[in-house]
Parts: sequence; C-alpha cells; structure tokens
Amino acid sequence: MLPPPAVFHFLWEINTDLVKDGASVRTYGRLISYKPEGSKAVLSGQQSSAQCHVSVQTTLVEPFQPTLGAQYFVLGEIEKTDGLTGVILHARALSNVDGVDLTLMQKAIREQRCFFKKRIPEINEQAPHCEPSYVKKL
Amino acid sequence: MAVNPGDADADELPSMLWGLDPDFSAYSRLYITDILQMKESRQVPGAYFYKTHPIFKVDVLGTVVYKREREDFYCYGVDDSTGVINCLCWKDEKCSDHGGSTKCKDPSGSSRGFNIEDELKRLTEAEQKSTVLEIGDLLRVRGTVKTSRDAREISATSSYKVNDPVMAVHISRMLEMPQLYRKCYDQPFQMPRDDLGGTEAGGSSRYHYLLSRSVLTLKEFFLEKEVARFRPYDVEFLLHPLIQSSSESDQPGTSFATQIRNLLKETLSVLQDEGQIFRKIQTQDEVYNVTEQDKDLHTEIKDVLREDTKREKYAEKGCHVLHILSSVRQGYSQNLSQEMLEVALTFLECNSDITSTTEAHYTVL
Repeated sequence: MLPPPAVFHFLWEINTDLVKDGASVRTYGRLISYKPEGSKAVLSGQQSSAQCHVSVQTTLVEPFQPTLGAQYFVLGEIEKTDGLTGVILHARALSNVDGVDLTLMQKAIREQRCFFKKRIPEINEQAPHCEPSYVKKL
Repeated sequence: MAVNPGDADADELPSMLWGLDPDFSAYSRLYITDILQMKESRQVPGAYFYKTHPIFKVDVLGTVVYKREREDFYCYGVDDSTGVINCLCWKDEKCSDHGGSTKCKDPSGSSRGFNIEDELKRLTEAEQKSTVLEIGDLLRVRGTVKTSRDAREISATSSYKVNDPVMAVHISRMLEMPQLYRKCYDQPFQMPRDDLGGTEAGGSSRYHYLLSRSVLTLKEFFLEKEVARFRPYDVEFLLHPLIQSSSESDQPGTSFATQIRNLLKETLSVLQDEGQIFRKIQTQDEVYNVTEQDKDLHTEIKDVLREDTKREKYAEKGCHVLHILSSVRQGYSQNLSQEMLEVALTFLECNSDITSTTEAHYTVL
C-alpha cells in the first residue's frame, strides 16, 4: 500500500546503470524548460564541467508555478525507455528549493551514503567513491 | 535460524534497567528502515530494541508520500529515503469545534486594540494549517512506535509541517543522523558507573544488574524448557556466562565457585519472594517447584474451587484468595505463600481455566 522509499541520487547518476528501471528516487536540479501541454519539464545538473539533463513527467504534481532557472527538488519513479526519449522521471512530489546550498547538499548526501556503506558492507550498493568529510578536516 | 538459547537470554537488557539508558527516555532519531526492522522486546510488548538500546519513542522527518484521512486522525506515509512508515496524527477536537462558530470580527477596525478572540482564532487556524499536509510536504513526527496487524507505525504525540524552502532542515538532518548513530545508538549500552567510591558502594549497582540479569535468565529457562521441578545445581550453569562476562570480580579474593553460589542463592531468594518458585517440602534435599509449571498445584487449586463453589456460600461470588490459600495449604503444601498462589491463579486465569469475579475472588469456569 505504501510506496517504496525514494533513495537520494544525483542527477548525473540517473542516466547511468546505477539506477534501475522502476526505482524510486529523489533528486534535485535546475529547471531549464517546461511544456505544460505535454506536462514535461527538464532539469539540469552539473558535475565537474559536464552538464546533464533529465526529463521529468509532471502530470501528478500539476498545477505548479514554474520558475525557470530555479533549483527544484523532485521525488518519483524512473522509467528507462530504449527509445530516443531516454530516461523519464515520473514526479510524485516537486518543490521549488531555490537558494539551496548545493555544496552542502552534495556533502550531506555523500556522508549519508558513506555511513550506509559502512553499516552494510556485504550489500555494496553505490560504487561512488566515498570520503567522509570529517576525516578530511583532521 | 537456530539460536543458542543461552545467547538469546543474555541479549536483552532486563526491563528494570531500561530507565538507565538515556535513549529510552528520548525521542530517538532513527532511520525509518531501522524503526521498521528493530525487534520487539520479549519482556515488554510495545518496547523495541535497536542493538542494545531499548526504544519506544522516535522522531522522524520525511516527505509525505501517502495520505489517508479518517474521522479522528490523518494517516501520513512518511519517506525519509531509507524507508516509508505510516504516521497516525490525531485530529485536535478543539479545532473542529472552533470551525463551526461564527466569525465575530469587529467591522469598525480591529487594528485598534488587541482582540483576544480574534487572536485565538488565528492561532487555532495556524495550528490547523500546520497539521494538515499534502503529498510532497515535509513532516516532522514525534511519537511512539506501535505494531498493528504486522505493520509498524508511529502514533504521533506531536507532528507538524516543516517549512523548508531551501532544504536547510533536510540537509542538517542528513548530516546529523550519522553522528547520532556513531555517538549514541551504535554504541553498546554501558551501565553507569557508581562513583561513590569504595568496593562496596561501587559494586552494588553492578551486582544489582547481575542479579536482575540472572533472575531473568532463570525465568526464561523455566518457560522455555517447561521446567516443573529443579535443584539448584541443575540451573547453576546458566549463571556461568554472567559471572565470566563481568570484567572485575565483585568481591576480590573470592573464587569463581563462591561467586556463583552466592549469586544463585540470591537469585533463588528473589524468585521465591516473587512467588515464581517454592519448596513444597522443607527437607535437606533442596527441591524447588516452578509455580507456573506445577500441574499438581494447578489441579489442586481447580479442585478446591470446583468443590467450594458448589456450596451456597461461594456459589455466586466465588472464593476469596485467602480461603483458597488455606485450603491449598492443607491439601497440598504448608509452604505456599500468598505470592505463589497469586502467580498460580494469574496463570490459570490467563489459560481460561478459572476466572476472577472481583479483584480477590475466583471461581472455576
């Protein structure tokens, strides 16, 4: 009855094999386009110097006030199609979080992942390299 | 999975000592996945264990992904990215009454003066707004963990919608949780040291802990193995791991065997006082009967009740505990105390063999 938990992922991870088809995810990105007719939005994120885009199906979260260029937090299910459309995120929750500290957000997600990885060493979920920041400070 | 009963018995902290663990009294901030997976305590239903800590109150923060409204409460499904759990947020009856009353705003300009009724109304409306949420909102819930129909849920004592426009609350929670786990929840529970000094006072709290542990161990052993009668040396082995695991010796200079014997003597004395065990006949041979397992005692009690309730005097109201006590003493054992009888009567009542008509009267079904 209850939906599965939505695990935090970075936008650039969604297009890779790290995220399976049908998985519930939560992520964030900058809104760069919105088409109300097709209920399609596109979020963009930056890793190092590379830009990446993810399409978001906004049928379930409409109507919402789109602010192009603002940061948005989105939660929903991934659909991976083999066709040209690529990956689509069917949003169940969408909110404007413009002003969010992106560096701090990334750090928080990485620390949490590090902690989970240490707890369950036999289930090695994400392979991203994890360095807990408290170690760095020393 | 086969579990060595000896290990399982030593696992749970005795309930008498739970108050010493600060995590028990605080609303623990656990990940929802841990709340869903923590095992229920064998000693007290409604309490749970996360590793070595007894928990029954939690504090969660997450996104609402499911909403159901009933007459008395809202049921929100909360997702914190590790798991999803149902939270029951009770509706405030006061708020629903207020909604019916007519608005009495002063039309001539309420900006002058402080209208207490209007302010109260505004406060109630603000409270209501913070407790009615939609899917996608951030919810903070503090409440007790309950298991209902095989599903864990949280019955909220307080809950509110969190205004988090730049995800600051979300982020600080994500950063804080691993620290809490490392410092508190994943640390094994330590008995607080008694700093009064001196071996006597210093050892007392540890000894008390040992004693309550050994009482619990023996009780669980009797239940599991359905022990009806035993001699002290039959159960001595159960106390060996307890003495071995305590790092310092309680009374320096005494041997292991003496420590075991002293602990066993104390434990049996506590169990006798509680009425859990008794000696049917006072002989040199130290044989103890386990009250809840002694079928002969149960039969004797039932016979007494059956015979006496036939008499007009006891037919309606049943027999008083003291009457049953004197009858059973005559027919079974002079050494039976009231506590032992009460333990046996409670056991029989739970099994629906007898029933209590008042707080101190019993009759047979």
